[in-house]
Amino acid sequence: MSGLRGRTPAVIAAVGLICLWQLIVWAFSVPTYMAPGPVDVVIAFRESAGILWSNFWPTLYEALLGFICGNTIAILLAVWFVHKTTAERAFYPIAVFINTIPIIAVAPILVLIFGNGFAPKIIIAGLICFFPTLVNMVRGLKAVSPATLDLMRVLSASNGEVFWKVRIQSSLPFLFAALRIASTTCVIGAIVAEWIGSNFGLGALIIEATYNFRSPLLYATVFTAAMLAVAIFSTVSFAESRIVRWKAPEVH
Amino acid sequence: MTLDCAPARDLAVSIKDLDVKFGVGDNAVTALSGVSVNITEGSLVTMIGPSGCGKSTLLRAVADLVPISNGGLTVLGQSPSEARRQRYFSFVFQDATLLPWRTALDNVKLPFEVGGGGGIRADPGELLELVGLKGREHAWPDELSGGMRQRVAIARALATRPKVLLMDEPFGALDEITRDKLNEELLRIWRETGTTIIFVTHSIAEAVFLGESVLVLATNPGRVKEFLPVPLSHPRKLPVRDTLEFVEITGHLRRSLEEC
Ligand SMILES: Nc1ncnc2c1ncn2[C@@H]1O[C@H](COP(=O)(O)OP(=O)(O)OP(=O)(O)O)[C@@H](O)[C@H]1O
Ligand SMILES: [Mg+2]
Repeated sequence: MSGLRGRTPAVIAAVGLICLWQLIVWAFSVPTYMAPGPVDVVIAFRESAGILWSNFWPTLYEALLGFICGNTIAILLAVWFVHKTTAERAFYPIAVFINTIPIIAVAPILVLIFGNGFAPKIIIAGLICFFPTLVNMVRGLKAVSPATLDLMRVLSASNGEVFWKVRIQSSLPFLFAALRIASTTCVIGAIVAEWIGSNFGLGALIIEATYNFRSPLLYATVFTAAMLAVAIFSTVSFAESRIVRWKAPEVH
Repeated sequence: MTLDCAPARDLAVSIKDLDVKFGVGDNAVTALSGVSVNITEGSLVTMIGPSGCGKSTLLRAVADLVPISNGGLTVLGQSPSEARRQRYFSFVFQDATLLPWRTALDNVKLPFEVGGGGGIRADPGELLELVGLKGREHAWPDELSGGMRQRVAIARALATRPKVLLMDEPFGALDEITRDKLNEELLRIWRETGTTIIFVTHSIAEAVFLGESVLVLATNPGRVKEFLPVPLSHPRKLPVRDTLEFVEITGHLRRSLEEC
């Protein structure tokens, strides 16, 4: 993380863009329902704080549970795949197939099956996290050089020791690369699921604000969703800096 | 201290009519054929030969990393797998193979944490001092130079006080100056620990400078060409390489390798 000085250009750029946005809205007298200015959005934040909060929590809950479930299943599957090549051959193609189905297309199906509650949202948030983590985790667990395995054999290490002392460790940078992606996509998953059929959550609020031409509220909701994603992303990055203390080679 | 004038010493590694084949049927490759050699305890044998002649294979057979097809191989009287379980030998690879998520010190401690962690435990701090890395105990591998990483690997290999140290081109990836320095240090470590060392190299000068005897392998199939004693006295220092005696031995080896 760069210090205050490193971030100064970004802050100046952001403030500049916001000012530009306000100037354009004023200069061309854009109607508020079409595109509200930053000032309108700030007012919406203050006036609708209650609504925003009460819809923030369900989305946080769905995104987090989806993140945890989707990634846990992906990690466990990856471990299984690496131990059993037949399992990998049998299920990897299926995982690839599931990944090719657009999530927006699955959402209505899941809503039909699981109803209007939390379940379909958590499943969709989880599904969207699942695939990148599975792929990266499999790669990470396999990213052990043959020479390292020879070393462990000379030391008479058991399979369990090779797994815990070598494979898991070597997979961590790969895993965190996937978790950073998942930290933002799980919020997208939860919101998309709320669009399909829901009367709570930031997704539902986005739909409602759009239909009622409450554009400042719409913008405020979008910002809230973005901040949620940033919060999860920062948590993952912080955990990574704590757990992976060594400088990992670049993971793509 | 050559082979023939030390008949009383026990055998560290005894190899008799060893064959190693890879693959089956039409794809079978005979890597080693009829290799017989005895290496006495406490000696330092270097191994040289054209690329692909089976030097690594021979070392890996001793280390129980490749299966033997035929013949006999014992390490201090035990089969390679029993010797491995008893921690009789250690292996130093061409790449240091340090675990990047462990500091230098924790890498040296790895042998204590796996494989039952049995056997002798040398003091890891002292070992790092022995290889000249005092003060760098808590450095991460990627903060160390290639030569330093290889020193850590040597310290790790010595952590269980092995009776036999198997080294497969350990300095092959290092620059010449670092390599010279590590060669001298390896001789010092060998004298201080009394470990038997089998050292594979591509460099004739390195083979002669280090070895009490040089094992020359010929290719297709891999077999022993000659087992040449090096009559240079110990302790050896780098300038010995400029003596006539040294040059004569390297010249002989060069001709011998050309015939391989
Ligand atoms: N795991 C393996 N499977 C099949 N063939 C192998 C295997 N390992 C080695 N060989 C073959 O055995 C022969 C000897 O290989 P080895 O690696 O022992 O040679 P080397 O003398 O160490 O060569 P270099 O000097 O290049 O390291 C080669 O023909 C090689 O192709
Ligand atoms: Mg080799």
